[in-house]
Amino acid sequence: MQVALKIWRYDSSSGERALREYEIDAPDEATLLDCLDIVKDRHDGTLAYRKSCRMMICGSCGMRMNGAAVLACKTRMYEIAQAGEVPVISAMGNLPIVKDLVVDMDPFWSKFKAMKPYLQPGYDVPQDGREYRISQERMNVIHKEALCINCGCCVSECNAMESDPEFLGPQALAKGMRFVGDPRDAATVERLEQYSGPHGIWECTRCFFCNERCPKGVDPRDAIAKLGAEAISNGIDRDMGAKHAKWFIRSTETTGWLRETELVPKTQGIVSSVKQMKFAMGLIKHNKAGLAFPPHVARDVGEARNLHKLVKEQDRQGAMGHVQGERALARLAHGHSGEETLDEIYERQGAFTRPYLPGEGSAGGQGSLTQADVTPGEEPTKKPGGGA
Amino acid sequence: MKTVAYYKGCLASLSAKELDTSTQALAPRVGLELVELESVTCCGAGDIHEAEPDYYLHLNARILAYAGQVADTLLTVCNVCTLNLRQANHMLQGDADLLDRVNENLKTVGVPEYRGNVEVRHLLWEIAEGEGYELLKQAAHKGLKGLKVAPFYGCQILRPSKIMGFEDPDRPWSLERIIEACGGEAIDYPAKIKCCGFPIIQAREETAMGELIQPVEQALEAGADVMVTPCPLCHLSLDAWQSKLEAATGKSFKLPILHLAQLVGVAAGLEESELKFKRHIVDPRPALEQLQV
Repeated sequence: MQVALKIWRYDSSSGERALREYEIDAPDEATLLDCLDIVKDRHDGTLAYRKSCRMMICGSCGMRMNGAAVLACKTRMYEIAQAGEVPVISAMGNLPIVKDLVVDMDPFWSKFKAMKPYLQPGYDVPQDGREYRISQERMNVIHKEALCINCGCCVSECNAMESDPEFLGPQALAKGMRFVGDPRDAATVERLEQYSGPHGIWECTRCFFCNERCPKGVDPRDAIAKLGAEAISNGIDRDMGAKHAKWFIRSTETTGWLRETELVPKTQGIVSSVKQMKFAMGLIKHNKAGLAFPPHVARDVGEARNLHKLVKEQDRQGAMGHVQGERALARLAHGHSGEETLDEIYERQGAFTRPYLPGEGSAGGQGSLTQADVTPGEEPTKKPGGGA
Repeated sequence: MKTVAYYKGCLASLSAKELDTSTQALAPRVGLELVELESVTCCGAGDIHEAEPDYYLHLNARILAYAGQVADTLLTVCNVCTLNLRQANHMLQGDADLLDRVNENLKTVGVPEYRGNVEVRHLLWEIAEGEGYELLKQAAHKGLKGLKVAPFYGCQILRPSKIMGFEDPDRPWSLERIIEACGGEAIDYPAKIKCCGFPIIQAREETAMGELIQPVEQALEAGADVMVTPCPLCHLSLDAWQSKLEAATGKSFKLPILHLAQLVGVAAGLEESELKFKRHIVDPRPALEQLQV
């Protein structure tokens, strides 16, 4: 096939920047990375880009195509070429460009290192001399976070980081959740304190670009939400973002709707909100703020209050209350016709590995060999599709 | 007429009442019969999802259950409500065990069962295609006479696309199509799909303002007379915080921000008593009068 590309060339030593167009002949199955290889080998040896594994494992070839971060090795060009499109290829965002498509990853790695991205063990060694076992339910909480390959596609598009370059960002925070959610780790509280700093969890602006761009399905925004839930359930809620979130809960229990007027003092405290008085007066003038008389109360709001009490008692605290959503999202990610069972979807070619789903397998509900092993009288069961 | 369960959400109930009145006035003209839900609460706005996710799920299941009593479609007028409700709905519809557990709890507190029968749709989607779009073209008889309108989508009606799924999150078309059907000229600028900063505007105002300035500046540079958004939270930051942007940069912006239902409402000839432009911080009326819309 004939592939045409426009590539932003950049030389940081001279500051020169130019959009160059290339037309190449490539095999039908070529990816963007294959096309760049052809450009470099046969047309222009000065083109710079990173690559290594060519199979979506090393995370080296993150770059932008038409403004959206992609892994070049995951992006097939056939349909784009057939449609006659000439995509614009450029370096990732939010990181300084060294040359052409190569960015300086130092700021990325320094945030990564700041998360202490390694296990700080502190768990009771089982008395029977066996290895420490984690329930599948707990593993599910960090299943997606553990898929990260550090490519930087999420960071490239992070809207909060564009505004505050010091924001820890989606990759580092998702990595943080991978350890906060690990029951073997002893530093949960210290981690949550650290991640709740001025450039941490509560600076995420919920633009969801990270979830949209991640080529591995990590869903970093979901990881940040889990960190928020973990912080609050551990009582680490001094940050204005945490107070803001808690006020929503209080509102739904009392009037049902957000108590907007009280949100500022409840989030920022009295002193800061007094400083906002001039701004607030402007809003009041246009009926944008002020106390509603009579207060706007949802009918049957007692039901919401009772629901809150009930789920509190059921104690799915912190990230454990976060529906991991594999069952629902697998249906979406792989295109569900409405007829197929989940097993059939996972058996499709190219489907993700089937994750554990609650309520499956043995009567004990864990469905894994290890759990059957520790439950007297339970026969070992096999996960659908084989496995251990 | 298509009967829909109408979920106003917090802002249209309180600080953005103009969104509610313009939506109510516009609805019959685009073939929608709104049945307002009264027993429902806030969706949690992403905040409860982040603070207590299990409560978030139950709270949204309760809203869906009440909606399911009156219609198959739950109509939203806010991006954040749309994402929160759709996200909960996908989880409940896709997992029978989860739906059973949540329904058991709903039953305990006296809420009707949620049968998984509701689809959550934003007003934008209802009028951007199909019957709603055909009726919109007829309703917009007064036209916008070439008014240059900057579409601002905001985040949570586009992403995550596996939950939203209406249009390409990088190349959306729905607002542009509606602007043009109303006789306006849709202008293009890169930040139209980016964040307005609202979720962190109280906890991290400076970071939020760094996001907010992008659509405002870019839209004005591209020649926008007004901006339109389908989200009352985007509206609040773009409209109310614009004065803070002006104070911080020393520039004058004065870009009027319209709710989607207001923009279509202008083209459909709604009255000021329904549009309520006087509730805006940046008054859109001079821009609209100047062009004799």
